[in-house]
Amino acid sequence: MSVRVAGVGPVADLLRARVVSDATACVVVAPLVVEPVAVARITDEQIDRLWEQPMRTVISELQRAKADGCRRIVVVVPTTGMSGGADHAAVAAASEAMRVLVKSAARQWGHDGITVNAVALEPERFGIEVSVSGPVSIAPRALDTEVDPVATVSFLCSEGAAHVTGQTFVCDGGLWM
Amino acid sequence: MSGRGSSLDGRVAIVTGAGQGVGEGIARRLAQHGAIVIVAARRAETGEPVAAAIRDEGGRAVCIETDVTKGVSIAACVARTVADHGRLDIVVHNAFTGAVPHRLEDAILDKHWKGMSLTAGWASLQCAREAHPHLAAASRRPRGEGAGRYVLITSPSGVEGSANIPLYSPAKAAQRAIAKSLAREWGPDGITVNCIAPVAASPSLLTAFDRNPALQRAIEARTPLGRVGDITDDIGSVALFLAGDDSSYVTGQTIVCDGGSFLGL
Repeated sequence: MSVRVAGVGPVADLLRARVVSDATACVVVAPLVVEPVAVARITDEQIDRLWEQPMRTVISELQRAKADGCRRIVVVVPTTGMSGGADHAAVAAASEAMRVLVKSAARQWGHDGITVNAVALEPERFGIEVSVSGPVSIAPRALDTEVDPVATVSFLCSEGAAHVTGQTFVCDGGLWM
Repeated sequence: MSGRGSSLDGRVAIVTGAGQGVGEGIARRLAQHGAIVIVAARRAETGEPVAAAIRDEGGRAVCIETDVTKGVSIAACVARTVADHGRLDIVVHNAFTGAVPHRLEDAILDKHWKGMSLTAGWASLQCAREAHPHLAAASRRPRGEGAGRYVLITSPSGVEGSANIPLYSPAKAAQRAIAKSLAREWGPDGITVNCIAPVAASPSLLTAFDRNPALQRAIEARTPLGRVGDITDDIGSVALFLAGDDSSYVTGQTIVCDGGSFLGL
């Protein structure tokens, strides 16, 4: 079975190279534009690039995945949507909106046997510097091993994940809890 | 109301979407506690009667026609407020439009998404941008004489998703993330930023109840407190807390005000 990975950048490249599935699946890597800017100085053009266009792209990608007959859909986002981020309000808004869009899609498409889930990764994977956005957690990461999201994404793309939907798997070594 | 921070005497608050529903309830409650309330409504036909009713009750309120889908209209509202009253302490962004039932796969971005994106995503950022210098100035006043407060009205649906209006949920989720981000960004300025996720007897919900009485019974049955919230007594009171001094150490949070229906946070 094929896995289509939508998106650009190192996360998309990694997943495109290594995610496998026994189901028809689609992985959408959040097409975020990371550009630190204080809300007090944000321009309308930046709101369009950082919030509006990424959201339109992801909505369209989910629609395409459904039209393509995908039974497993996974959206990959940074944890910044859950934690918020200083100077990254528009990016955080898009990230969290995508994560909750997953829940809506899961509710609507569950009757069609389609599962929709999210995987949340450390902000640095998307180029978001914690030194700017602020810490994700008050505690250090629980695991000190390198985080590889491929197995988690592959599981959610598999037939074996048939009863998992609308969820967010945080795959960051136990940083955000 | 007995908390030390429940008095908003002399403070100036803008409430968007205050021409009806939750916004009206919040405007009324803030005015009852001394705030000078700007009823920011898209149409004067709805905003003026609310402002007049507040004045009739002894409060201070004016209507400023404001279309939050246009950044220039938001900027004009803030500028006129500060010009007329000399300060701005509180912004409650409640205005929202576009929650039309749809199938996600059939959604047309410019029909189903645009209005929600403009009123939730864009306007939350634009209101923040325009208000920031004035909210920061409010927080520099001596304790008890002012404090910058930004409150966003989101929804439980913005946490748990929606089967009927699937694009409504992400629009509302965005506001929670904006609140958390601004809480981080504006904390050093002494400004707090929080969300309220209400379920309230707004005109749109009451209309839905009239059309579908089973909906009302279903909502009340799943709600531990057994009723739908009142726009002023239930939702307005939470907004009053977040707008006042009693909430000075609360920021970046979402207060779900729905009678206990959603317990997932």
